[in-house]
Amino acid sequence: MALLAVTVVAACAAPLLAPYASSEQFDDRAYAAPTRIHIFDTDGVHAPFIRPLVLEDRVAHRYVEDPSTRIPLRWFYQGRLVVTADPAQPLLLFGADAIGRDVFSRVLFGAGLSLGVTLVGVAGALLIGACVGGIAGTVGGWTDSGLMLVADFLLALPGAYLVLVLRGVLSPVLDTSQIFLLMSALFALAGWPHAARGVRAIVATERTRDYAEASRAAGAGTWRLALQLLPAARGFLAVEVVLLVPALLVAEATISFLGLGFADTSASWGRMMQDAGNTMVLADAPWLLAPAIAVFVVVLGTQLVSRSGGRTTILIAQSPGAQLS
Amino acid sequence: MSTALARFIAWRLLVAGLFVLVVSSSAFILVRLAPGDASREVFQTGVSDASIAANRQRLGLDQSLPAHLAAWLGGVARLDLGNSSSDGRPVTGVVASHMAKTASLAALALVVAAALGLPLGILTGTRPDSLVTSIVTVISLALVCCPPIIGTLALAFLGASTGWISIAPGNYLWPTLALALPLAAMLERLQSQAAAEAFAAPDIAAAAARGVPVRRLVWRHASRQALRPVLGVAGVVVATLFSGSVAVETITAWPGLGQLMVQALHGRDLYLVAGCALAGATLIAVGNFCADLLRAAVDPRVRLIS
Amino acid sequence: MVLVSAVVALAGYGCSRTTQGSDRPDSLTIQNGGRIVSTYRSEPKSFNRYVKSTSADEVVSRLINATLVRVDRKTGKVEPRLARSWTASPDGLTWTFALEPDVTFADGTPFTSADVMFSFQALYDPKVHSDLAASLMIAGKPMTVRALDAHTVAIMFPSPYAPGISLLDSLPILPAHKLKRALEAGTFLDAWSVTAPLADITGLGPFVIREFIPGQRLVFARNPRFWIRDASGRPLPYLDEIELQFTPDQNTEVLRLEAGESDLMTDRVRFEDLAALRDLATKGRITLHDAGVSISPDALWFNLDPAAKSARDRPWLQREEFRHAIDLAVNRSKIVNTVFLGQAVEVAGPITPGHAEWFLPELPRPAFDPAQASKRLASIGLVDRNGDGFVEDDKGRMAKFSVMTIAGNSVRQRSFSLIQADLGKIGLKVEEAQLDGQSLFQRWDNGDYDAVYFAIESDAFDPGRNLEFWMSSGPYHLWYPKETTPSTPWEGRLDALMTQQSSTMDAAQRRQLFADAQRLLAEHAPALYFAAPKVTVASSARLQGISASVLMPPVFWNAEVLHVTGPRR
Repeated sequence: MALLAVTVVAACAAPLLAPYASSEQFDDRAYAAPTRIHIFDTDGVHAPFIRPLVLEDRVAHRYVEDPSTRIPLRWFYQGRLVVTADPAQPLLLFGADAIGRDVFSRVLFGAGLSLGVTLVGVAGALLIGACVGGIAGTVGGWTDSGLMLVADFLLALPGAYLVLVLRGVLSPVLDTSQIFLLMSALFALAGWPHAARGVRAIVATERTRDYAEASRAAGAGTWRLALQLLPAARGFLAVEVVLLVPALLVAEATISFLGLGFADTSASWGRMMQDAGNTMVLADAPWLLAPAIAVFVVVLGTQLVSRSGGRTTILIAQSPGAQLS
Repeated sequence: MSTALARFIAWRLLVAGLFVLVVSSSAFILVRLAPGDASREVFQTGVSDASIAANRQRLGLDQSLPAHLAAWLGGVARLDLGNSSSDGRPVTGVVASHMAKTASLAALALVVAAALGLPLGILTGTRPDSLVTSIVTVISLALVCCPPIIGTLALAFLGASTGWISIAPGNYLWPTLALALPLAAMLERLQSQAAAEAFAAPDIAAAAARGVPVRRLVWRHASRQALRPVLGVAGVVVATLFSGSVAVETITAWPGLGQLMVQALHGRDLYLVAGCALAGATLIAVGNFCADLLRAAVDPRVRLIS
Repeated sequence: MVLVSAVVALAGYGCSRTTQGSDRPDSLTIQNGGRIVSTYRSEPKSFNRYVKSTSADEVVSRLINATLVRVDRKTGKVEPRLARSWTASPDGLTWTFALEPDVTFADGTPFTSADVMFSFQALYDPKVHSDLAASLMIAGKPMTVRALDAHTVAIMFPSPYAPGISLLDSLPILPAHKLKRALEAGTFLDAWSVTAPLADITGLGPFVIREFIPGQRLVFARNPRFWIRDASGRPLPYLDEIELQFTPDQNTEVLRLEAGESDLMTDRVRFEDLAALRDLATKGRITLHDAGVSISPDALWFNLDPAAKSARDRPWLQREEFRHAIDLAVNRSKIVNTVFLGQAVEVAGPITPGHAEWFLPELPRPAFDPAQASKRLASIGLVDRNGDGFVEDDKGRMAKFSVMTIAGNSVRQRSFSLIQADLGKIGLKVEEAQLDGQSLFQRWDNGDYDAVYFAIESDAFDPGRNLEFWMSSGPYHLWYPKETTPSTPWEGRLDALMTQQSSTMDAAQRRQLFADAQRLLAEHAPALYFAAPKVTVASSARLQGISASVLMPPVFWNAEVLHVTGPRR
């Protein structure tokens, strides 16, 4: 739980925590290693500082620290938690990517995009799932069978293929917010079947209860009845959130990694992982895996949350998460 | 074979066939409706309208959608999936070879995952207090959170820096591990829970009291009970494997269906996309069918419900 | 005029057929035989070069076919191939070629002028609609061919053409006896497809196709009937076999070369691989070849069609001052250092040092001056009116536009990220639209876009062979193709300059005219160019005879002189 909370807070506080903008690029820092923070110098202890980085070989991405100078860190400067005293000598906590952008900042800003599209997608999936499941459970009969058939059909499809094809055939010119909405919509479409099945089962059971019968007898329409029965599915839906989040997060990573999601400057985690896909540089620049680790942390967080619910471990396997990842 | 089982199999085959049909037709329709088609080469100079029209005719794009779909389905019945619009090669051959690659990878990953996950799950489920259980549980938890895309990159780093894992193309080790490890972890967790429950069941406890050796209890009686929930998620497992294979194939340059599909979508290659969808759906249907058969074998109740 | 054409004719006449070009090693020490493996990232779409023109198709064609003449990629001189000598008529419009006698196709059939006639017939056939035809038209008109006898042809240019017969370097000669029937029956487009039986395919080139397994490899074997010999009289090619292994992944290609499993990669080396390959080169395991500066730099161009939708409520998008502002705002040296790791040259136009004598070093390059750029934007009404860091027009709307790119090219991607960031600093909001090739091309063709960041591969150094880009009526006049009349006075002036440049025979005058054309283009900047990379090709150390070129294909254009010094380790 703590893990998740930290991630969400970090994402929201990105403008404060991140030393630099996600598109800010530094000269002569391509694939630079994480900046080392020193406290000790030849003349004793100092406030934390860094040393300037000198380019040794551009083609081989080799840099050396200049041991003669100290550049102190500045705290709470211009709305950022910490930067260096010299803008040309940046603090790269997680190193730099292929064109010299700060990986740490991009991971923080990317959290907003990746987690954002995931959460909106989850909300959409649950909304559609609740509606469809609610109607199916309330009405029963042919509507029920038909809707559940569609849900089963979609459940059997590999989520990645589904979103891939849908995104692949639509190639309009999109900006970041439009991509955000499109991806959320696709995730909602891919995620609703499982929620619908669960809600339908619960609603169908509730339907047989006395109060439901009474309501029916009193002349309640389908929609009103469904709305009365849905609250029983609260617990299920809460669990669904925990299961859908990792699934959709990984789906975003996959789609953006394949180049069909967010564009380069917007620093979504999936897009950043493209740099890591180049195995030639990866061995020398392992900090490129930072976005992958971020995804891992979030998924781990949701796992731990679901574990604290005891028997929910079995639901992991039956979750939509498995088929989307 | 009893009539119940025969009916079960027949019904499942019918559903599988329908599934494949609907999926591939949907893919066909989607690509046809989408903007952009392959009737002109990219950046071809001075193309005349007559030439474009002729090209459209060769690709069958001048027919209406229902007629085109019907023609294509007719071809499918003859196992002729048309020709790729980029190089004219028969789609059937291309898709078949890539399908075999994906299927072999998925099957191997499944076997490895089951071989690792199921026995370990039974172990941890029936011996909750041992040190081994704790270690395995922690590792399992970590691996469950490593979906194939993350796992592939992590293994790439491991392989590139230590050389333990060969990242050479065509080598099964890297992609198989990436697909199998999270699946193995999931199976282990599932099996562990199921085994723990089965082990605590009254009849097992009674048998233990009678003096039946623990080993036999675990491997004969409890595992059968415990397999049921695992097989119950077989459908999801199959879908997971193929979903994960898209990213894995791209990163490891594995010449499978996922890679082919991405390429085909880029080039708006209608027959190739539909062919990939057909192949993918077939693999999923086959996987689900096998899982159903296994379930029927293990649990007689399934045959009757159908 | 007579003197000039006589000089030109003499230049072509009498080149011994054993001369293969400049800087050849002492041919007596070259070993015969051996096979090489080259990884290749794409597969041929057809074995008929007239029908498909991807880079893989070009490689196949260079290996199995021969041309009448060839342009030596290193010296730029026209060398005799199937034509052993040629003369020009006094007016320079008719060239008479004496074809090599005693040359046969790989299947034994004699090569005659009938094959040349057939090739031209297929080339210009409207039903074939060959991509090659566009580059073999003079001012939109085809050449005419007459066979004077079995070994003499006359080729007539419809109008004076300065690049001359060098354009015949693009035309592979096809066997009439194999394809004539297909052309007459209308099935030429499907003849020699990748599914055709290999026995049907024959050519005059140094190699023949021995085996093709789609998805795996394409193997070429030595053509024993190839007529060219080296300086010591040994028949070419030296190599016994060339295998193209299809490897779709760039990482894999590099790994294979490093491991010694292959001898050559598809084309240029990636910048991130340079360091590792440099190390291997110092150890002597591989050789790095410098091919020169690329002649196809990435271009950022805008939709300048006056009727374009994009310009309706954003007139500033088509203003010259707007483009000049962008030119000043982009930090070229940063792109050179960060994306190309220093292995590139800053450019201000489509002509780079790779174009040899056509490059204009004194062409002024805009300095990096964001302040000046902001002033230019202000001069057309784009200022930051509300302090949000972005400029707005006089109606208060933010100045934003989208640029189409193709996904999958990481170098172009990174260059574009830097450009985007630089433009953001002067207040322009640039959105990137990553599309697949088909969608991008369709939108460009329909004029349904704001701007594009892309590069079209150039196939010749001589600008007279690239008129489809320079002329306003050209189909590759990127910012406004196929204009019926020039839409601006300067485009009209450019048309005049280029028409003159391509029809004047005087070399010095041509250079002068083209310098003026380049200056004119830079003045109005319809397309912006930032950096041109240096091209390096990597091969195993055992593979010799390579003359790497920036023209495609970089290595196989002279495959007959490639040889190896020993077995692969």
